[in-house]
Amino acid sequence: MRKRLVVIPEKCSGCRVCEIACSVHRQGVNNPKKARVRVTTVYPHPVVRMPIVCSQCKEAKCLAACPTDAIYSKDGVVMINEDECIGCHACVDACPFGAMYIHPDLDIPLKCDLCSNNSEPQCARMCPMGAIVYLPEHVFGQAHRLNNVLSYAHMKEIEYMEKGEPKKLHYADNNAAESFEEQQGGQNEKA
Amino acid sequence: MKKHKGGYFGKILHVDLNDSESSIENFDDDFASQYIGGRGIAVKLIWDNLKIHDHIDPLGPENMLVVAPGPLTGVYLPSSGKNSFAAISPATGLYGDSSMGGGFGVEIRQAGYDAITVVGKAAELSYLFIDDDNVSVIPCPELRGKGNLEAEGRIRENLSDHDVRVASIGIAGETLARFACVTSEWSRNAGRTGIGAVMGSKNLKAIAVRGHQDIPVSNMEDVINISEKAYKELGEHVMMGMWQRQGLMGVVDYANEMGILPTYNFRDTHWEKSKSINANVMLGNFKIGNTACFGCPMCCGNINLVKEGKWAGTVTEGPEYETAAMLGSNVGIDNFPGVLRANYLCDDFGLDTISTGNLIAAVIEGYEKDLLTLEDLDGKPISWGDEDRIMELIEQIAKAEGIGETIALGAKGVLAKWPQLKPIVVHVKGLEQSAYDCRGASSMALAYGTSDIGAHHTRAWTVGKELEAGADWSIEEKVDLVMYHQHIRSLFDMFGVCRLPWIELGFHEDFYAELYSAVTGNQYGLEELLKVSQNIYDMTRAINVKLGAKKADDYPPERTFVPIHSGPLAGKVCDKAEYETMLNLYYKKRGWDKNGNPDISC
Repeated sequence: MRKRLVVIPEKCSGCRVCEIACSVHRQGVNNPKKARVRVTTVYPHPVVRMPIVCSQCKEAKCLAACPTDAIYSKDGVVMINEDECIGCHACVDACPFGAMYIHPDLDIPLKCDLCSNNSEPQCARMCPMGAIVYLPEHVFGQAHRLNNVLSYAHMKEIEYMEKGEPKKLHYADNNAAESFEEQQGGQNEKA
Repeated sequence: MKKHKGGYFGKILHVDLNDSESSIENFDDDFASQYIGGRGIAVKLIWDNLKIHDHIDPLGPENMLVVAPGPLTGVYLPSSGKNSFAAISPATGLYGDSSMGGGFGVEIRQAGYDAITVVGKAAELSYLFIDDDNVSVIPCPELRGKGNLEAEGRIRENLSDHDVRVASIGIAGETLARFACVTSEWSRNAGRTGIGAVMGSKNLKAIAVRGHQDIPVSNMEDVINISEKAYKELGEHVMMGMWQRQGLMGVVDYANEMGILPTYNFRDTHWEKSKSINANVMLGNFKIGNTACFGCPMCCGNINLVKEGKWAGTVTEGPEYETAAMLGSNVGIDNFPGVLRANYLCDDFGLDTISTGNLIAAVIEGYEKDLLTLEDLDGKPISWGDEDRIMELIEQIAKAEGIGETIALGAKGVLAKWPQLKPIVVHVKGLEQSAYDCRGASSMALAYGTSDIGAHHTRAWTVGKELEAGADWSIEEKVDLVMYHQHIRSLFDMFGVCRLPWIELGFHEDFYAELYSAVTGNQYGLEELLKVSQNIYDMTRAINVKLGAKKADDYPPERTFVPIHSGPLAGKVCDKAEYETMLNLYYKKRGWDKNGNPDISC
């Protein structure tokens, strides 16, 4: 089961715990500028705080751009072979999300590898807001699907009492389906 | 001598704007142990500067501005994004400082400095750019009159770097308003004591910083273990969710129920309309996001948007409690969008919301009581909750226009022009009181009175504890608590970390001693660190004595001795005799003489 990092920018507070956790665990130094994740903030029009994380793309632009084939994909994680890397930073330029980083002290670009040996990347583990989450690929889009289903236009709501407590129940109204067919000229019936 | 293996770069950057020259001063481990960092180093540097100059005009080129994060700023630990701005205050004429959150201090550390000092005056409006080792003074006359929001964006554009950290002043700093603040990341403020005016007097519009260096840490494994335990403990705290949602706005209801919410210029301490400016109103219709300082899980910053009505389109980070109270109940605004608008204007103009709300309230009461004439008010009347006129006043203060020119001079300037307002201007040493009434808790009166910078709550916030548990406290217990707060809170400012995990979520003080030990590679106990803090407090006092502070300046505002008008603490008042006893005991316990002079002199 492959997993990826997902960002929910609405939850991000811009605290940069992800950056500092990444740098102390992965680089062994206290330096948010050496993190493989960065929070970008825009204010006040619009107000957005968003950690930029690597998507581990299947058709990775960074990999394609590398002139020495130093970037490779293994088990769904895009990584840099440091022996092959010449530090030209073509990959940094190629990433459409800006999710690779340069630091003046380092020859090799900073690239997220999902903390390869860990069960959960440090940024997701430490984020106090739940703005970076580590999810199996098959649940991607589930939230949107669920949202779509629940906001289905013909949803009805009834209130009822259970043990003296008011409760709500949602259901999809069959009558709505009929009226929908009528609007369409009863084509289904004819068929 | 303790050898530090982390925590310090051992470097102070000195900048002289007279000739745009900069130099580096190296300091040793002894210096670090003696002053720790942040506020501690700032006090030492200002002390040294006072040795050079016989007289310091707070708005003169000789006044030294110190910007100092601490040895824990930017370190992997909860809430490590703090940074002190210090100088001789134009509001009080005494030592002044104010701390700022966000990421500005972290960036200074990453540029490799433990502190920055600025003296002199630039030939034209300029900003200081510190790019690791490269320091330059860049003229920016085009930014004259620009608000903080625009100035910060323009400097980022000018340097072609979206991530550069900027601390700027607004129009109020340029016009030398005595309560002008310094603003970073659009809305993180070093609000108090008029540091913005000190920058303005130096023609210094902003300081921009970019750094890449590792923050030195001696024992990384210990830091990781201690800090991750701390993050976990805070994350699981029962109040954490409430904190993340409300931040300090939750204090509005608390203060109102306790009877300490400043209302109508501190006349009342309880407001029947407080529900119109509380956290529920904010959460219901206005909040669109959280903000946090560096490394902080508590995200006390609330971003709010006004979606409709007269102030539609207003976006502001805030208010927090102080602003909601000072620009809400204290001036009678019962319309939350109005509070947001006033907050936004203060941030953009670069005015301290506490002093602004305090002095506007004094003017309203002064007019109400016929102590001020319509002529004094430029012919335009003002009353409680008059939003339009209050917004107009904020702008007039920032631009030093009309009546605003007088208000911008702060409590001292206002009283010099209108001495008849003496009973109703609520200040200590010239600094306007912040948003906790102290009549129900005499320890808080002592905290305001003896505060080195004037009537500011963060020096010693004892009001909550005394009201909740202090009914039977002896005078000595009250004095001890004030002194403990004055020392432990200084320590937070010296380390460059926030006090909120401690005061709000009960996080233990020992954690910081443990971390400072892990970062420096030396064993430190809390008691030992508090001793350093006490020494800094004595030094600050000696600075103030040299600058003319007397025992007479150590009393709370006159209003403290007038009974509370209404609410749960109606009739409560600070007893003059009790205060006198407390103050004398306080001096004695500090080892100061009966006039409040310490045995060291600057």
